[in-house]
Amino acid sequence: MVNRSDKIHTHPYMLRSAIGPLVIFSLALVSIIILSLLLSKTPGRTLHYFFLGPVQSTYYFGNMLNTAIPLIFGGLGISLAMRGGSFNLGGEGQIYAGAFVTTMSALTFSTWGIVGAIFSLILGAVIGGLLSGFSGFLRMKWNTNELITTFLVSNMVILVVNYFVAGPLKNPETNLIATKKIPESFQFSRILEPSNLSSGLYLALIAVVLVQLYLYKTKSGYELRMFGLNAMFARYGGIQAGWYQVWPMVLSGALYGLGGGMVIFGTYFATVKEFSAGMGWNGLAVALIARFQPVAVIPAALFFAYIESGARNAMLHSDVTFEIASIVQALVFFLVTSSVLQQLGTKRVRL
Amino acid sequence: MEVAAHMHEIVKVYPETGNRANDGVSLTLRRGEILCLAGENGAGKTTLMKVLYGLEVPDSGSIHIEGVSQHILSPLHANRLGIGMVHQHFKLIEDFTVAQNVTLGSEPRKFRFGYDLRRADQLVDAVIKEHHFSIEASDKVTSLTVGQKQQVEIIKMLYRNVDILILDEPTAVLTEQEIVPLFTTLRTLADNGKSIILITHKLQEIKNLSDRVAIMRQGRMVGEFITSEIDEREISRLMMGQSISLQLNKVPYSKEKRPIITCESISVVKRNQERPLLQNVSFTAYSGEILGFAGVSGNGLGVLEAVLGGFLPISSGHIEHNRIDISRRDTRRARRDGLAYVPADRIKVGSASGASVAENLIIASRRQFSRFGVLRKSAMREHAESLLQKFSVAGSPHMPLGTLSGGNIQKVVLAREIEQYRDYIVFSEPTWGLDVASGRFVYERMIELRNRGAAVLLISSNLDEILSLADRIAVLYRGSIAALISGEAIHHVTKEELGSYMLGLACQKEYSHG
Repeated sequence: MVNRSDKIHTHPYMLRSAIGPLVIFSLALVSIIILSLLLSKTPGRTLHYFFLGPVQSTYYFGNMLNTAIPLIFGGLGISLAMRGGSFNLGGEGQIYAGAFVTTMSALTFSTWGIVGAIFSLILGAVIGGLLSGFSGFLRMKWNTNELITTFLVSNMVILVVNYFVAGPLKNPETNLIATKKIPESFQFSRILEPSNLSSGLYLALIAVVLVQLYLYKTKSGYELRMFGLNAMFARYGGIQAGWYQVWPMVLSGALYGLGGGMVIFGTYFATVKEFSAGMGWNGLAVALIARFQPVAVIPAALFFAYIESGARNAMLHSDVTFEIASIVQALVFFLVTSSVLQQLGTKRVRL
Repeated sequence: MEVAAHMHEIVKVYPETGNRANDGVSLTLRRGEILCLAGENGAGKTTLMKVLYGLEVPDSGSIHIEGVSQHILSPLHANRLGIGMVHQHFKLIEDFTVAQNVTLGSEPRKFRFGYDLRRADQLVDAVIKEHHFSIEASDKVTSLTVGQKQQVEIIKMLYRNVDILILDEPTAVLTEQEIVPLFTTLRTLADNGKSIILITHKLQEIKNLSDRVAIMRQGRMVGEFITSEIDEREISRLMMGQSISLQLNKVPYSKEKRPIITCESISVVKRNQERPLLQNVSFTAYSGEILGFAGVSGNGLGVLEAVLGGFLPISSGHIEHNRIDISRRDTRRARRDGLAYVPADRIKVGSASGASVAENLIIASRRQFSRFGVLRKSAMREHAESLLQKFSVAGSPHMPLGTLSGGNIQKVVLAREIEQYRDYIVFSEPTWGLDVASGRFVYERMIELRNRGAAVLLISSNLDEILSLADRIAVLYRGSIAALISGEAIHHVTKEELGSYMLGLACQKEYSHG
């Protein structure tokens, strides 16, 4: 999959490679319209809110952008793992654990100011990196499948964090199952009132740039990509195979963990029980749409956030139910991730 | 005897390399016979059989099955015409039972859609009983030995009622004890009217098993013979052919030479292997010479490549580079110490098709192209541009390697390794998949390296290559050095003589190990 996407993106005929995405986009639009006509009694209203809802007010627009922040981190995390030839299915647990550790650290070091904030975010990234790196280590040592181990570790971690959030570390002052709130000095500033959008967005964009630079401009990034493209070739060239079974996983988990911390500092301010459910999987969807290209993660995350917030809007303002909105969303992503459609125009598709 | 199949003037050219794998080959298969298709690696045997089995479409020529002209388009089509093939590498689903594997693709139906498992077991058991195989239809494939897995492949074909059975080097993966029952089975099948083609380059098999032998060389059919009327030496001579002198410009063999790489009685033993992959191999590669390693595939050439490349640790003995012990060195260390190595598999081992040409060119010298961990992109581009020009590769630095033609990809690998060379370089099958002109280009570079004082280790199953390039030749047979030809002898050694060492018909006394 990585191989294929590379070919497409560096294809000399860039115009031709735009055919696939365009076809996908049109098909998605047409199917949304058809579904609305079929499933809604007020298709005009539904479509209006679906397409224009997310952009018609500052509030919805800002919230849409805010949704994209963890998606960008998750998308980057998966992309890095994939570029290095590994798979990380533990995003759910890594985000959640990262968020939890960041929260606890922020509460502990609340007097440290900016240093405490940075330290807390780093700690969140470290825990994510350790969780995912552990699966990489198992793969290196005993050739286990990191697809399974990341998933299992993640499930376990979610339960452990749940225990702390609902038990010993629960904030007794609220009815929510949540930890205490982090001090206000640690919270990111709002950048698009009255929406929830925080300045964490800038950090997300910086992360994209850094990951892109790391992958394509540094020696380590080069080695990681070569290992991902052809592990045999990397070994033959003298690249340490063991290290690159672990390192991409560490980076991947760290980005997820950092994403979790970002959401805490920007939106939730406390670890609410299972608040991040779905973010990990959605990050995977974003990475698939972006075909594991760091730069493409931005539009992919925005697209994902747009569709999601469109569905939410249509649900609020018309007769569309949650299930229908989910079906529409699923259909769109199904189309977007179809590699056959993506390759239209770039080469003859062999079925 | 009746003719079961006839292939007439088959031509197959691989467009990527321009290689004429089959150049007007004709072959007749009679009903109820075992025909051995013999030839060196790259003689075109497998291509010819792929054409018959519908895996390759010939550029010209015709095929008659049972006297009717056919255009065989796919293996499925071949199956319907009664042709089956057992590949060297089994195509089985390990977690399925024998019956499930055998019936895959033509399962007995239950109510049109369902899969009638019990009936599948019965049908397959019937085939097994009929031909006296030693396995059961309900056995899981995972639990079977290699020889039994091969039986499953044969049963798969018998279940499909094939009349013509092609086997691609069936004994390559088998132990001695497993070969005997296979041959008995094949003989019985032939006696029952099946026609069998066996691809092989083992002389004993040809003699022991076949009724007739067809010999191919360099894409052409040398001839078809009745096995009892031809002896092993003659077969060997026909397989190898007369040597073709390549007329290369070699400076006289220098007398001042120093040892670069020394291997002292190295052995490689792997679990589950009956005999060692390499056994007591000793040699020294000197500066300013090409040391050739010849052998038929499966006799240790690939293992030697893996050892020299640092992929495979040796079990005993030791290797020295400039008198420093490097026995325990992996590829990473070896690369740092100046290993230059052109692998036999340039695509899977020697390159990453998804990475750019420039990226492919720096894999072993990446430290030179980075400063404080940051890649020096402009240096990389200049490096790539100069190498592309020097080796006249049609391509540019930023192109993904996979978009280049096969010959150009090979040149990229070659350019990188020659650039990387310090005092020794390993070439494994350097001209596989190359057309004549590109091959010649490689030879010239190799000679150049030798004249500059490199120790060149040339591992090759192509005898013409070995004979025209090597200053000394070591012949590997069953993991040991069967002969070492050096000094004056190198000028008179014939292909026939090398062939007899390679095929185990002869062995130099000082190198025999019982």
